[in-house]
Amino acid sequence: MQKKNRFILVALFMPVAVIFMAFFILPMLRLTLASATGPEGLGLYLEMLTTRRYLETLLYTVGLSVAVTVATLIIAGITGVFLQRNDFTGKHLLVAMLTFPLAFPGVVVGFMIILLAGRQGLIGLLTKMATGDKLVLAYSMTGLFLGYLYFSIPRVITTVMATAEKIDLSLEEAARSLGASTWRVVRDVLIPALMPGLISSGAICFATSMGAFGTAFTLATDIDVLPIVIYTEFTLSANIAMASALSITLGLITWGALYLARTAAGGTLAASG
Amino acid sequence: MNKRNHLFYLQLALTLMTCAFLLVPVIQSVLAGVTVNYFVGIKSGLTLRWLGEVWRLYSDTIFRSIGLGLACLVVDLIAGIPAAYVMVKTRSRFTRLLEEFLVMPLAIPGLAIALAILISYGWWTDFRSSWLIILVGHVIFTLPFMIRSVIAVMTAINMEELEEGAASLGAGFPKRFVGVVIPNVLSGILAGSLMVFTLSIGEFNLTWMLHTPFTKTLPVGLADSYASMRLEIGSAYTITFFFMIIPLLMAMQWVSRPRTGRAATEDNTEQARMENQSQLSETTAPADAAASQAARRPGTSIRLTRCAKTFPGGTRALESLDLEVAAGETVVILGPSGCGKTTLLRIIAGLESPDEGGGIFFNEDEVTAIPIEKRNVGMVFQSYALFPNMDVADNIAYGLKVRGDEQDKIRARVDEMLAMMQIEELRGRPINQLSGGQKQRVALARAIAVRPRVLLLDEPLTALDAKLRDVLRVEIDLLLRSIGITAVYVTHDQAEAMALGDRIVVMSKGRIAQIGSPRDVYFKPANRFVADFIGTVNCIESKMADRCLTFPGGCIPVDDLEGVDVTEGGMLNIFFRPEHATVVEAGQGHFQAKVLSAFFLGDRTRLLVNGDTPEPLKVEAPGRQAFRKGETVDILLDLEALFTLSEA
Repeated sequence: MQKKNRFILVALFMPVAVIFMAFFILPMLRLTLASATGPEGLGLYLEMLTTRRYLETLLYTVGLSVAVTVATLIIAGITGVFLQRNDFTGKHLLVAMLTFPLAFPGVVVGFMIILLAGRQGLIGLLTKMATGDKLVLAYSMTGLFLGYLYFSIPRVITTVMATAEKIDLSLEEAARSLGASTWRVVRDVLIPALMPGLISSGAICFATSMGAFGTAFTLATDIDVLPIVIYTEFTLSANIAMASALSITLGLITWGALYLARTAAGGTLAASG
Repeated sequence: MNKRNHLFYLQLALTLMTCAFLLVPVIQSVLAGVTVNYFVGIKSGLTLRWLGEVWRLYSDTIFRSIGLGLACLVVDLIAGIPAAYVMVKTRSRFTRLLEEFLVMPLAIPGLAIALAILISYGWWTDFRSSWLIILVGHVIFTLPFMIRSVIAVMTAINMEELEEGAASLGAGFPKRFVGVVIPNVLSGILAGSLMVFTLSIGEFNLTWMLHTPFTKTLPVGLADSYASMRLEIGSAYTITFFFMIIPLLMAMQWVSRPRTGRAATEDNTEQARMENQSQLSETTAPADAAASQAARRPGTSIRLTRCAKTFPGGTRALESLDLEVAAGETVVILGPSGCGKTTLLRIIAGLESPDEGGGIFFNEDEVTAIPIEKRNVGMVFQSYALFPNMDVADNIAYGLKVRGDEQDKIRARVDEMLAMMQIEELRGRPINQLSGGQKQRVALARAIAVRPRVLLLDEPLTALDAKLRDVLRVEIDLLLRSIGITAVYVTHDQAEAMALGDRIVVMSKGRIAQIGSPRDVYFKPANRFVADFIGTVNCIESKMADRCLTFPGGCIPVDDLEGVDVTEGGMLNIFFRPEHATVVEAGQGHFQAKVLSAFFLGDRTRLLVNGDTPEPLKVEAPGRQAFRKGETVDILLDLEALFTLSEA
């Protein structure tokens, strides 16, 4: 490669480098600094881990995200493979419907859950008709779970369908020719073949759930998740140091999950919205 | 086949339930937004009052979001496309680190990024209170999506070879970037753009932290409307949002759907192959008349002096070597993969520079420092590197256009080339509708159209099936002879090398193993590697005893051999080709051997026999004679064709 070419390449990369340096890397460093230069210094992190409210929130958020990820992978895994493998009238419409919520911001998802399971929601209406008691799920942990499921399913379905499309059908035929039952084929061939897609989409699902703010914000549940706590620390208590420390913890967890997934799946992260 | 058993219906039920879960609230919100009273439902009558109310209260947020989305898109395009290009071009550890950085905004929650931006720039009141701070957040969040989308397409289309193709025709960097790179990654740019715009419109986490009462965006407005506890207004606002994103989502589906053009190619291939073969059956050379009209310029010789190539990282691809190619000569560089033959060709082309001290001369002009686009070489790439954004005629005309030739001259030359390659009917065809053989012809035409000083061909037939390869080999040979151009042809196929080369350069491990005419290389291989690589060779270990080369099973009187000089008791390896050892009647051969297996080839039978040598010998028997395994046969050697090698 000639010197002139290298100059061109550097020049072409400059805009991105400048934008990232100024508005991502430097701010992130400032954030890290802000979390460590409060009156307690790094003791802040210790405080975070020992204060009941923060620790509980952290555990709740992680637990919720894991539960949502597992549930999403099961539901979207089955439906994704099903839609990829079968042809029937109305399939394309069904796929379009299932991927429609892909572009919903968290606040809209929250509103959807209010409509579905809120005080005037459909589930409440139906349960009142059936049992006389109105069932309101939206403002509890269940509401959050449903909300996170709502925005996770479309993303994972698209990834699963893309992965399933690439599976070599002859592998399954080979397994069947060797006498494997349907369940054996699923267990021994299909799931291993889907694994890279499941790992990467599962990691994205987990990361998105950890950082989801809009849904919880709209539902205004009685249980706080980490992003909400960060928000209240920053705006209401003006506790910038703690907000920074919590943000960094949150960022490290999600980034770590994605990193692990990419190492495990070996491939690149599927870009999903 | 998939039977519709209970399993099918179970899965269908789950799918429909999931769909209902996602869709029911959407339908509810649509109903709530257009009915007079949400609680009574559709019975209460339909109204547009709430939508009007939304327009009155929140229209500014809608326009602001669209504006932000567009601004964000512009920034992403300007910064993202060049960055993607750089990242594809420079694959190094540094790039991997960059990729890692680019993933981080996806991994780190928007809230944390927003907090970081606020802490860093919150003091700057003008910036803080303007929509620019939101734009910055959106750009950081969306830029990775744009870059990844463009990178994916750039990798898929084999951009580097297309660019090399353009460079070989004389296009400098700006022309390559605008004329070849951008048009061919448009699908990635489009997909990325839709993604970025949609993401920006719907972004809430960052925006909520960064907005002010005067810079509310659509999702912020939505959150406000939900908080106002007026379900009908919230619903009507949500409907407005749906109407904005539905076209975007549909466009995204349209962009990502598999192109039908690709499927058409498959159908075409068969038909195209037929065409190719019918063309062959007439066995006309690529229009000799047209070829001779193409000005036969005095050819250009190529001279390489002390050219070596060490790649960054220390891999030594080519040891220092000298090579001369006479004007008008066709030289084939032959060798196994990884022997450095392609590197050598790329050095001649100007796609790689030799290590310090090496020199490349065309006639007496030193071209070592001249980049490929100025070197005036014609190059045919292994994957052809035809530009998919142009049709056949435009591909052939590209090099001439880059040189700024007049329209009339270009048209005339394209006609001439199409006629010469007998592909007139393909003139307006898109590239993805050509068969392999047709692509090959277009690639040749494109390379010759600019009347290059030398023609360089990098395994041009490898991607084709065996039969087509034979046809095109003949055509290329006739073409090279008729236009009399200096040509360097790289291949790993010895039959191709034999058929095409005036001289063959056999390479091994970055060195030249032998240079010679096809006959020389075959009959007088310089060493064991050449002997093994070209054709099949047998080896017998023999010992000199009583003026006889003796080996287990027989002996050859040394007086029958020319130029063998071994002292009594010395060891000598004798080599011979299978066709020089034939099965004869008992008692008339040089030695006896046991048949291990026999392969009937039609005109002859190839036998694998055990001559008590380390490896079985391959010999031939003509005609109809059949052999049994274990049978003992007598074998006669053609003594004139025996050879010895200096190194074992």
